Amino acid sequence: MLNSFQDILTAAKQGGVKRLAIPEPKAADVALATAAAGAGLITPCFVGDAGAIKAQAAAVTLREGDYELWEEKDPGRALMRALTAVRTGAADIVLQGGAAPGDFVAALQDRETGLGSKGALVSYVSLYQLRKREKLILVTDTFLNNRPSLVEKQQILANALQLARLLGIETPQAAVLAAIEQVNPGIPSTLDAAILAKMGERRQFGKAVVEGPLDIDCALSKEAAGRKGVHSPVTGNVDVYLVPEIDTGHLLAEALVFFGGMQTAGAVLGTTKPAVLKLPFVTEENRLVEIALAALIAGKGGGNG
Amino acid sequence: MIRSLDDFERQAQEKGPKKMAVLAPEDEEFMLAVKKSWERGYIEPVLIGDEQRIAQAAAKAAFDLSPFAKITGGDLQGISDLGIQMLFAGTAPIAGKGQIPTSYIYRSIIRAEAKAGSGMTVSVVTFWEIPGCDHLVAFTDTGVNIIPDLKAKGEIIKNAVFAYRLLGFPRPKIAVLSGQREVGGRLASYEDYEALQKAAAAGDFGPCEIVAATSFTEIFLGGRDRKMDYRRLPEAALPHILLVPCLDTGNIICKLDFFLDVNRSSLVATSRGPVCIPARSDFSDNIVQQIAMCVVLADRMGKEVL
Repeated sequence: MLNSFQDILTAAKQGGVKRLAIPEPKAADVALATAAAGAGLITPCFVGDAGAIKAQAAAVTLREGDYELWEEKDPGRALMRALTAVRTGAADIVLQGGAAPGDFVAALQDRETGLGSKGALVSYVSLYQLRKREKLILVTDTFLNNRPSLVEKQQILANALQLARLLGIETPQAAVLAAIEQVNPGIPSTLDAAILAKMGERRQFGKAVVEGPLDIDCALSKEAAGRKGVHSPVTGNVDVYLVPEIDTGHLLAEALVFFGGMQTAGAVLGTTKPAVLKLPFVTEENRLVEIALAALIAGKGGGNG
Repeated sequence: MIRSLDDFERQAQEKGPKKMAVLAPEDEEFMLAVKKSWERGYIEPVLIGDEQRIAQAAAKAAFDLSPFAKITGGDLQGISDLGIQMLFAGTAPIAGKGQIPTSYIYRSIIRAEAKAGSGMTVSVVTFWEIPGCDHLVAFTDTGVNIIPDLKAKGEIIKNAVFAYRLLGFPRPKIAVLSGQREVGGRLASYEDYEALQKAAAAGDFGPCEIVAATSFTEIFLGGRDRKMDYRRLPEAALPHILLVPCLDTGNIICKLDFFLDVNRSSLVATSRGPVCIPARSDFSDNIVQQIAMCVVLADRMGKEVL
């Protein structure tokens, strides 16, 4: 089981070198790709203005033979070329690079020209390394889906459970979060949570334990849950936290970083091949972990959809 | 100026004991908190609820209830109504919730505010004490309004500004939080932020300032295009009040104290006085802190408002 970011890096290295397509790379992307190549994770495949990329590579002492360069001066075309390369197998992973976040996500989700696929929902999961014990937790969706419907939540949860299994958690335990632990018809998140928990009970998520609704104190503390009359193997030992919507998801993801000092890395799930986004509160060191995680996903047959 | 939860405890000893309507203290942990608060001179409890269950909890907490007034209540809603009526009648300057679902308390308060004609929107303020931060940070609304609209958010801000002014901060800074980010279009919570910022600048919420930041990234890093560095996070730069977009967000984040190195203390600031509303999962020391906070705020409300 992979219990830390270091475990992810180690496992990814053992899986062999992957080809990372990077459209319109900025200096920070070239530096990151250089670090990832140096760690034995990837071979960078830069797509963009050759002159600019060569200068950036030279600045971080990345030798010409250690990367591929696909000339494409038009930024929009560079992004599409990078995605096409990944879709057709010429590359294994795509990095956001210099593409604008909105453009990148829209292009990524396209079923024809990007990495979206029919029946799959593209979602985002934030991983955290616990500080007091060796364990990784997953929080989803923290970036991509604004107000997911019940069906979309089902897919978001399924995506995260699949990643949890990839990390070696045989029977992942999921908390479907809401404001309160009781089912209250006035609070829609509690209804969705109850339905998802029932689906979990009927094995609709495969080998997993899904509990909900759970408020955060019940999810985090078995003792607190017990005092509220909630008795479940999930309480106090959650692997996957499913949030109700993006206000909660994104702010929770940030709160764990800024108030908790927790290290975080993220992954795009539900695509046919792995992609790596750039979030403002992920450090460069942890972006390396994101590439390693994408490499692990690629090694397991491509995407996570 | 109150800057920490310890400040509340220190001042509660000076300002207490205050009469507190204690609603359904039927749990050992809560009864233990009532006992400690009495022993420290914060409160004089008036116990309302099922006599037998109260006696059982007191026995477990080794608390002799003979010196205190007791009122036998009916069902849980009746107990809640009775305690809140005492608060609004001025019989007790504080009410505190034991083993009653919080929604019952909110219902009682909403009815009492309507009857009093105060026009006050009921909301919950949850204070966090954060290491490295030189002031308490108030999340709101963490308890009542499920998906507040713009008008309700304005009222929630007014309540929090009022509570924060009681701590001695004449012009608190507020962040209106949103999940607005680089993708996903414009969120309703972000549009509310823009409207609330204009309203605050026009003076609609009294003396306060809404800062130009809606995410923790912007608050801590100064923008979403800055370099993340765990060694340089200026906790002191946190605004005093954080308005959350909805109940799910507020409740989930404010109770992260079960996980993070922060202390939490919540209350409902009604037009007549504070109501102590510990979570049913809270432990006695945490509940004592929340009672101390209510004692101090009741004292200050008494001077400023009544």
